[in-house]
Amino acid sequence: MRALDIAATGMSAQQMRVEVISNNLANMSTTGYSPRRADFSDLHYQQVTRAGTIGAADGTVVPAGVQIGLGVRPAAVTVNFAQGALTATGGDLDIAIEGRGYLEVTMPAGNPAYTRDGSLYRTGDGLIVTSDGHEVAPGITIPDDARQITINGDGEVYAGFLDRVEPELLGRITLVGFANDQGLEAVGSNLFVETAASGAPFTADPGTDGLGTLRQGHVEASSVDAVREITELIEAQRGYELNAKVITAADQMLGAATQVR
Amino acid sequence: MDNPTYVGLTRQSGLMREMQVVANNIANMATTGYRREGVIFAEHVAATGPDAASLSMGNAVGRSISPVQGAISATGGQFDIAIEGEGFFLVETPEGEALTRAGNFIRNEVGELVTVNGHRLLDAGGAPVFVPATAQSVALSGDGTLSADGQPLTRIGTWGAVDPTELSRRSGTLFLAPSGVEPIDGARFVHGALEASNVNPVAEIARMIEVQRAYELGQSFLDAEDGRVRDFLRTVGARA
Repeated sequence: MRALDIAATGMSAQQMRVEVISNNLANMSTTGYSPRRADFSDLHYQQVTRAGTIGAADGTVVPAGVQIGLGVRPAAVTVNFAQGALTATGGDLDIAIEGRGYLEVTMPAGNPAYTRDGSLYRTGDGLIVTSDGHEVAPGITIPDDARQITINGDGEVYAGFLDRVEPELLGRITLVGFANDQGLEAVGSNLFVETAASGAPFTADPGTDGLGTLRQGHVEASSVDAVREITELIEAQRGYELNAKVITAADQMLGAATQVR
Repeated sequence: MDNPTYVGLTRQSGLMREMQVVANNIANMATTGYRREGVIFAEHVAATGPDAASLSMGNAVGRSISPVQGAISATGGQFDIAIEGEGFFLVETPEGEALTRAGNFIRNEVGELVTVNGHRLLDAGGAPVFVPATAQSVALSGDGTLSADGQPLTRIGTWGAVDPTELSRRSGTLFLAPSGVEPIDGARFVHGALEASNVNPVAEIARMIEVQRAYELGQSFLDAEDGRVRDFLRTVGARA
C-alpha cells in the first residue's frame, strides 16, 4: 500500500520545513543572517495507464491516463538575500553592506570565504579581522597611533592622527559578488564558500558593478521575519498532522482488508 | 468466484488507488506550484451472456489536474515569480520543453534563470533568460517584462499545451505536453511572490475519510458475499 510511503515522504518534508524554520528563528539576532526557505518538489510518477495508449482496436486513444504520484521531496533550501535592517552601533570598525555583495576573508587554510557580517576588529598588530579572527581582504593594517578610523561608502579606509591635519588613506575594502548567491555553500560562523554552482567571484569596489556600498558604524541585523516564520511553523505543524492522519486512514483500510476472510 | 466479488474488487482496487492520490496531494500541500490531482472513475460494462443482464464495474481510468489558482504568498525573493491566471512557465528539460507553475527560480553560475532542479527558464521567444550578475536591481512587470537597473532584458511569456488533456506529470512539478506548447495570453505575473500548492487540505481530508469509509463498506460487502457463498455451500452440502 503506497499511501503509507507517500504520507511518510510528506511527514519528513514537513519535518524538514520545521528544522529550517527553527534554524531561522534561532538566528533571529545573528548579524548578517539571511533566512532560509525549504522548497519542495513532487516525486516521481508511476504511469498506471499511460496517456496516449490506444484503448481500442479502432485506434481510440486514452486521453489522460492514470498517473500516481509517489510523494514529495525537498528540492532546495534557498536563501532569501533580502537586505536586513541596519543597526547603528557607533563602532568605527562596524560596517554594514547596503546592497549586494560580500566581504572577502582569508580562512586559516589560506582559501577565501565570504561574509556579510561586518562587525570587524583589529588584532594586536592592527590588522582588520572578523570576529573569528579571519583577515579581511585586502589586508589593511591600522597604525598604532591612529586616533580615528573612517571608512567611507566606497570602502576607502582613512586613519586620522593627532599630529596631522590630513587623514592618511590606508587602503580600500573591496566587495565580492556572485552570479548565483544561492549556490554559495554556508559553512557556519556567517561564512560562505564558493561552489561550482555559485559561479566565479568577481571583486569590485563598493558601489560599482551592482554591488552595494559600505556604511560605517552600523551592522546588518538578521533579516528573519519572526511573524512569517511563526505562521510557516503553524502551517508545517498542521501539514505534519494531516500526513499523519493519512497514515492512520491507510492503516485502517489495510486493517479492513485483513479482516475479510 | 462469482461476479459480485469481482465487481466489489474493482471498486476496492480503485479506492486504494484514489487513497494513494489523496496521500500524494496531502504530501504535496507545501510544494510550490503543485497542482491537485484527481482520479476519474468510469463504468466498465461487461456483458455476461446473450440474454443475461450486463454487469457494471467501477474502474479508475483517468485523472484530472485541478486548474484552480493556488494562493499567492509574498516571499520577497528576487527571482520568485507567481502567475496569476492561466498558463505555465516554459522550461527546458532533458526530456524536451516542459511546463511548470513553480516560479521559485534561481540565477545559475552563468547568470541564467533556472528552476530549483536546474532546468532553464525560457522567455516568450523560447530563449533562455539571462540576468547579468552585476545587475543591482531586477524588476518584473505584470506583463512579464524583465528589467535590470531600468534596462529591459526580455519578456517572460505564459504557455499552455496545444492539447491540455494530454498533459502528463513529471517529477519537479513539471508537465509534459507531447503535442507541443503554444503561448497563451491573459495572465499576470507577480514579482517577489510564489504560488502555493492548490491542494485544499480540508477537502482532501474529507475525501480521504470518504474513501476510507467506502473501502470499509466494500469490505463488508465482500464479507457478506463470502458469508452467502458459505451458507449456500453448507446448505447444499448438508442435503447431498
